[in-house]
Amino acid sequence: MAEPAYTVASDSENTGEEKSSSSPSLPEIAVGIDIGTSQCSIAVWNGSQVHILRNTRNQKLIKSFVTFKDEVPAGGVSNQLAHEQEMLTGAAVFNMKRLIGRVDTDPVVHASKNLPFLVQTLDIGVRPFIAALVNNAWRSTTPEEVLAIFLVELRLMAETQLKRAVRNVVLTVPVSFSRFQLTRIERACAMAGLHVLRLMPEPTAVALLYAQQQQMTSHDSMGSGSERLAVIFNMGAGYCDVAVTATAGGVSQIKALAGSAVGGEDILQNTMKHIAPPSKEASGLLRVATQDAIHRLSKQESVQIEVDLGDGDVVSKVLDRLEFEEVNKKVFEECERLVVQCLRDAKVDVGDIDDVIMVGGKEEIYKEVNPLEAAVRGAALEGAVTSGIHDPFGSLDLLTIQATALAVGVRANGNKFIPVIPRNTMVPARRDLFFTTVHDDQKEALIVNHLLGYFKIVGIPPSPKGVPEINVCMDIDASNALRVFAAVLMPGSKSPVVPVIEVRMPTVDDGHGWCAQALNAKFGSALDLVTLQRKV
Amino acid sequence: MSGILVNCAGNSLRFSPGTSLPQPKSTRSHNGTARFPTGANSFRASAQTLNAEPAVTESVRRRVSSLYELLKVNETASLPEIKTAYRSLAKVYHPDASESDGRDFMEIHKAYATLADPTTRAIYDSTLGARQRRVHAGAMGRAGRVYATTRRWETDQCW
Repeated sequence: MAEPAYTVASDSENTGEEKSSSSPSLPEIAVGIDIGTSQCSIAVWNGSQVHILRNTRNQKLIKSFVTFKDEVPAGGVSNQLAHEQEMLTGAAVFNMKRLIGRVDTDPVVHASKNLPFLVQTLDIGVRPFIAALVNNAWRSTTPEEVLAIFLVELRLMAETQLKRAVRNVVLTVPVSFSRFQLTRIERACAMAGLHVLRLMPEPTAVALLYAQQQQMTSHDSMGSGSERLAVIFNMGAGYCDVAVTATAGGVSQIKALAGSAVGGEDILQNTMKHIAPPSKEASGLLRVATQDAIHRLSKQESVQIEVDLGDGDVVSKVLDRLEFEEVNKKVFEECERLVVQCLRDAKVDVGDIDDVIMVGGKEEIYKEVNPLEAAVRGAALEGAVTSGIHDPFGSLDLLTIQATALAVGVRANGNKFIPVIPRNTMVPARRDLFFTTVHDDQKEALIVNHLLGYFKIVGIPPSPKGVPEINVCMDIDASNALRVFAAVLMPGSKSPVVPVIEVRMPTVDDGHGWCAQALNAKFGSALDLVTLQRKV
Repeated sequence: MSGILVNCAGNSLRFSPGTSLPQPKSTRSHNGTARFPTGANSFRASAQTLNAEPAVTESVRRRVSSLYELLKVNETASLPEIKTAYRSLAKVYHPDASESDGRDFMEIHKAYATLADPTTRAIYDSTLGARQRRVHAGAMGRAGRVYATTRRWETDQCW
């Protein structure tokens, strides 16, 4: 664990006893948090409805950033920027959701090198080095630390307003987050004294809200009414997510998920590259001017961009919609691809879709619900449901049946990925597969859970190749924790011949990028597995 | 009564069900190793079933004789009836809605997945008679899970 010493000023004073003093008779209602790439929100079930908390500036959407300009880092919850541009001086670290859990070979990390704070990459598959400018010196930090500082502020704000300790949270996460990224999020939460009850893919939180609204309007608590199929499309600054859900009677069953790390940030960067010389891409002024231009473009056919970058560099450009769409063609194509893939995975025809729900954009989806608030509202509902809260009016008679966003599997058949639990499998899930040895008298086998961890199963009795049966079982529980089990069976034996191994994944820490390569180089096929072909 | 559709509203379904599905927290202990009570052959058999999914585990089979009984629907139930039954049971057995660890819900989901697809339902129906005889003959024995469930410590969450 190569974690740096951790210093959040307010962390230590909130880890101990006071939490257990909360009333034992009432279950603690978990709060819902939507951590966005650019802004966050926090909401809680207040006994009759979802209540979105506001910060001291009366904002429901709180800018996600942490500034390091003083001794004590301050996040966007309590800290007020004197000016928008203060965010761009290098003292503020933001976009942590784009950086967390990614290695320095990741294109998303590379795209972040244009940001005003320092993002350094060595391209070897380790965590990128990030630092904030403090008194003209770069102070190193990590995405987890930045997120933790922000979450501490969010928690303190909630505790003040709710007048109780806040420990349990339901967080929304992008569909495309790997298990490794999810553990980084959990870790940041733990650093902030928060316990993650559920990590919900963002569109599934929206799906739960949709289920509630549907139930409220149809008064159908039995689910006997007709099932409605909806596509949920969620695009934020950092990620684009799609879900197909079948809903009836307050139960939202996720049929398929698709997601990718494309978002408004890509659109912003593409546009910046388009209008300014490459040397000026890191300019904060340019960033602000471009952002403003994109916003104006949603109302106008074309916009004039004028920005003085200093040193005699002046950008003066007219940008029209056609040009803007051309510059961002790849982003829009990727969004389209995700929708098509999601519909195909859900085995649903476009004609069968009853509703299309757009979130993260500017259009309103429901009469009273701001699309930017849909995810956090859904998370708060999930928080109440999983905390075992009942509502006499049936408003919490809800459920989301989740599906796995990504396949999990093992390396076998000569460095191939063999899925054990495929994508879009209902969660909780438990599946197993049988493998066998590739060499005669092979005593050990390496179980590599693709990019997440590895362990050896040893003590396989001497036997010709193909005889031992190695059962690999994967289990994802309701809170999305993954466990891998492995057992060796011999023909005729009544029980596993060696103790079963159970491993909670992921086991790898930072640097998992080169771990797979190293394993392959060291062991090659010596400890390999092949899928067992069974006689039918 | 296997032939009657579940017929109560979500809220009243919330209390601990009087059926035989166990509440896991009281019944499970963790001792680090797993049991293989049925031996390799039946272990393999249980994993090698309809649509390549692990079969309904014996712990449920022990008590219900068919997937229809598990979903509490009639063998002639229509697809909407099956879906409705599935959703009603989900509100009781899904881990978000109960203390359960999800094992029971996984069984319910498997039953639903089999019966909601006309092809797998037809295959299942054709084997139904044989399955019931086998269960009644006690061939499966008291076969629990292959792998014990680990107790979740809070430190598990992160590092």
